[in-house]
Amino acid sequence: MSEAPVIRVRGLVKTFQGVRALDGVDFEVAHGEVVVVIGQSGSGKSTLIRCLNGLVEPDAGEVLVGGEAVDTHSQADWRRLRQRIGMVFQDYALFPHLTVTRNITLAPVRTGRATQAEAEELARQLLERVRLPEKAAAYPAELSGGQQQRVAIARALAMRPDAMLFDEPTSALDPETIQEVLDLMRELARDGMTMVIVSHEMGFAREVADRVVFIDRGRVVETGTPDAIFRNAREARTRDFLAKIL
Amino acid sequence: MQLLLDNSWILLSGLRQTFQLAVVTLACVTVVSVLIGMLSVARYRWARIVAICYVEFFRDIPLLVNMLFVYFGAPLLGLPLSPYGAALISLTLWGGANGAEIVRGGINAVPRHQTVSAVALGLKPWEIFRYIVLPQALLPILPPFTGLFANLVQATTLASLVGVTEFFRIGGIIVERTTLQEGHSPAFLVYGFVLVVYFVICSLLTALSRRLERNLQRRGGRVAQVATPRESV
Repeated sequence: MSEAPVIRVRGLVKTFQGVRALDGVDFEVAHGEVVVVIGQSGSGKSTLIRCLNGLVEPDAGEVLVGGEAVDTHSQADWRRLRQRIGMVFQDYALFPHLTVTRNITLAPVRTGRATQAEAEELARQLLERVRLPEKAAAYPAELSGGQQQRVAIARALAMRPDAMLFDEPTSALDPETIQEVLDLMRELARDGMTMVIVSHEMGFAREVADRVVFIDRGRVVETGTPDAIFRNAREARTRDFLAKIL
Repeated sequence: MQLLLDNSWILLSGLRQTFQLAVVTLACVTVVSVLIGMLSVARYRWARIVAICYVEFFRDIPLLVNMLFVYFGAPLLGLPLSPYGAALISLTLWGGANGAEIVRGGINAVPRHQTVSAVALGLKPWEIFRYIVLPQALLPILPPFTGLFANLVQATTLASLVGVTEFFRIGGIIVERTTLQEGHSPAFLVYGFVLVVYFVICSLLTALSRRLERNLQRRGGRVAQVATPRESV
């Protein structure tokens, strides 16, 4: 029997003030797979990724994490599962009143996944990994945008998640710092991390994605390998979108 | 001036009573403000309605009426209150309503993405409030709360009307006694002195509040945006 997908959603529907942001989306991510979700602004990409860890509560549909059905209306259920699904936001959202180390150790310690000493050792290792060991005692305001985003990635990794969600992680960055964040994400992909990435970085998507999903008007229009989507898209809507941005 | 020196001990005891009432009230106000402020931003509609009703009720009735109502109303409920107790409760109810608005403004000054990212890390609601929202809300709350303390010091003068012998009441006693004993009223001198003392205390607190606000703005923080505390006497 094949391994259950890390995350699987079926028939996901979400309406915001009468507008259907998601209109019956089926989606899954296998263990170790890197899926890049593309689409125009307002197509439902961010809503989809936020439904995968309960930040947005879907109106209908089913969410399974590691084969386990989630009660999408239960915050306690989501809280438990969020510890297995890390998330990185467009605006980094580091806690400005806490040092870099404390940003990384707070959640593992509070959720009981590590003792303070273990979490601090883990934070040290993660800061080495994101190449910011010298910033352990710094506050977020002392870091550049790219550095903050790398700390945000380290903070999510500190929970030792089964999968990572990235919601447009480079959209708010200066062009010169985008590359350092993309490099780190490439490394994570190489190390076998399961990742769902909402991104406008098509070159990056083509390079690291195992699968690309194109969403339009709340529906999955087309899904396939980067080659299949970027070179031989079957759907006219996909081709139109790619023609506009490539 | 000799009159003030002769009565310096009693004036000091009145000042001590004023400060004690203001500080104890501030402690109670802080607790009530945080509780009602948290209710006012709660996820549950009923909680927000309770908070709004509390805040609007106690901000919209004159503090003097509130104080007399508590003082004379409590015995009818079988709770005879001392003048000090009645003043403490009514000042707390009034200060709590204004303080809750400050706390609400402070919590709202914390960007929403802070809560969202804490939720995404699997933290519980109380942990998010304790470790993420509260520390960030405290700085914007501090300047207006210092201003509220100045207002509380001023408002303690009303406690004299239910019989608390605080600084203003002591001034009144000195004026009455001197008038009866010596046949002339020292009201201008005594109340002028009382005025100067209140002015010095409250202007120092207001200056401290402004300084805190400037420091916060220099550090890029945001001061809690709230309406000026209402002191409807």
